[in-house]
Amino acid sequence: MPNSPNFLDIHAASFAYGGGGDVVSNVGWSIPAGALHCLVGRSGCGKTTLLKMAAGLLQPTAGSVQMLGKDVAAPSRNVGFVFQSPSLLEWRTVLDNVLLPISLHQTVIQADRTAAEELLELVGIKEHTNRYPRQLSGGQQSRVALARALITEPAGLLMDEPFAALDAITREELQDDLLQLATIRNTTVLFVTHDIGEAVYLADRVAVMDAGRIVFSADIDLPRPRNQTQRYSTAFNAACLDLRHAMTPTRRAVA
Amino acid sequence: MTRASMLSLALFVALLALWEGFVRLTGISPLVIPAPSAVLIVLWEGLTVGFLWPHVWVTAVETLLGFALGCAIGFVAGVLLGEVDFLRRLLWPYVLASQVVPKLALGPIFIVWFGFGMTSTIVITALICFFPLLENTLTGLQSVPPEKRDLFRMLGASRRQTLLRLKIPSGLPVIMAGVRVAIVLALVGAVVGEFIGGDAGLGASIIAAQGMMDSTLMFALFIVITALGMLFYQLTILFERWLLSSWMKGKET
Ligand SMILES: Nc1ncnc2c1ncn2[C@@H]1O[C@H](COP(=O)(O)OP(=O)(O)OP(=O)(O)O)[C@@H](O)[C@H]1O
Ligand SMILES: [Mg+2]
Repeated sequence: MPNSPNFLDIHAASFAYGGGGDVVSNVGWSIPAGALHCLVGRSGCGKTTLLKMAAGLLQPTAGSVQMLGKDVAAPSRNVGFVFQSPSLLEWRTVLDNVLLPISLHQTVIQADRTAAEELLELVGIKEHTNRYPRQLSGGQQSRVALARALITEPAGLLMDEPFAALDAITREELQDDLLQLATIRNTTVLFVTHDIGEAVYLADRVAVMDAGRIVFSADIDLPRPRNQTQRYSTAFNAACLDLRHAMTPTRRAVA
Repeated sequence: MTRASMLSLALFVALLALWEGFVRLTGISPLVIPAPSAVLIVLWEGLTVGFLWPHVWVTAVETLLGFALGCAIGFVAGVLLGEVDFLRRLLWPYVLASQVVPKLALGPIFIVWFGFGMTSTIVITALICFFPLLENTLTGLQSVPPEKRDLFRMLGASRRQTLLRLKIPSGLPVIMAGVRVAIVLALVGAVVGEFIGGDAGLGASIIAAQGMMDSTLMFALFIVITALGMLFYQLTILFERWLLSSWMKGKET
């Protein structure tokens, strides 16, 4: 096989919001196709900014971002983005919100509706299909946003703390659903989270960000498919501890 | 009926009774303050004999035409300024400056241009309705949360789709607030427009009644104008509810 380009290649990328200092500085990161990488870091360290650069929503002020070997000049419809807030259209039903990525480009057919309903069932809010976003709880809204990102079966998924508003049990269920879907569809995922356990559970590889830089990265060599009982294994906890240490300043020098 | 609305009704009746008693006891000239009973009789005659109806009709038509015209142009201008940065930067100082111009003061020049009668009044009314719509449309379109804009970019939406399917629906509550302001101003505009240049209508009738020193009729006309204003306002509210019905779902009131 010829050396196929990575799904995403970030080369020495920096970003500064108009006039300010670098919020992301000199970040290099590559994600092979089909891999799931997690990005952790404390609030305000630049995770969302990096994710938006990967999406083409922000252009790096230095360095480059490439997708499948091509510079990302504008957002691609081949990539789904789950925003940190659900960002649903309050005046459309849950079903219409999920179908939005399709209805913007073609007429919605029955098969699309069926697919949307299946996704809503998967994320556990099928009974709310015809309600409006404001009638849902915060966690339910973020699940609608998740279904919306999945409906087009994108090759890549950029997810910004998609499960932050969920209870522990629902979150574990959705983690398993995500892993399953990503495997079936061979989706490449970059997943931002605050939750160390979540990062280790989901990821092939994790990166820790601090003040705009990637300060630590590690492969997670836990067997796949993952299941929730692994969370209590020694290897899992060791990986969590490593990550934990990488996120606290005293150990950063060592890492 | 709630306790509070019963109390306000009772207060209204009490004030009327007080007014009637005051006029009867002091024997004050009806030219200064007519008795409520006299006003009601004139009003009743005006409506049954029918000499008020043509004026109601003229004012209603002027109000609604001016309102529709002003809202439509204000909305379109708001969308244009909201979408085309260059136009907004170019025209915004003028928009601000023209806000301060008392539109009714332009009445006399409109009479020169459009003559006495309905056209001048409609133009004044439209001009008055234009500004709240322009401003609220502009504000509404620009109030879309940045993440939703990013969402539409991510989904590859065209500029037109972003306008029609995100910005306008998203700004609709703000735009409709402008419409509500406009309908109130429209009636004021029509009546005052008739003061200046009308030959028919409720405002023109007030001027005519003043000429005849008929205060009782003037009070009766106030009541008709108030009723008309309330009717228009309620209709606007109903329209807004209908338009925003899916917006309202799940919004705690
Ligand atoms: N639109 C903006 N304009 C200016 N500065 C911004 C903007 N958005 C973010 N920042 C700044 O950039 C830095 C990184 O923000 P970012 O949203 O990427 O953080 P984050 O890691 O996603 O944080 P969190 O975990 O709280 O979501 C912050 O210091 C923030 O103040
Ligand atoms: Mg963030």
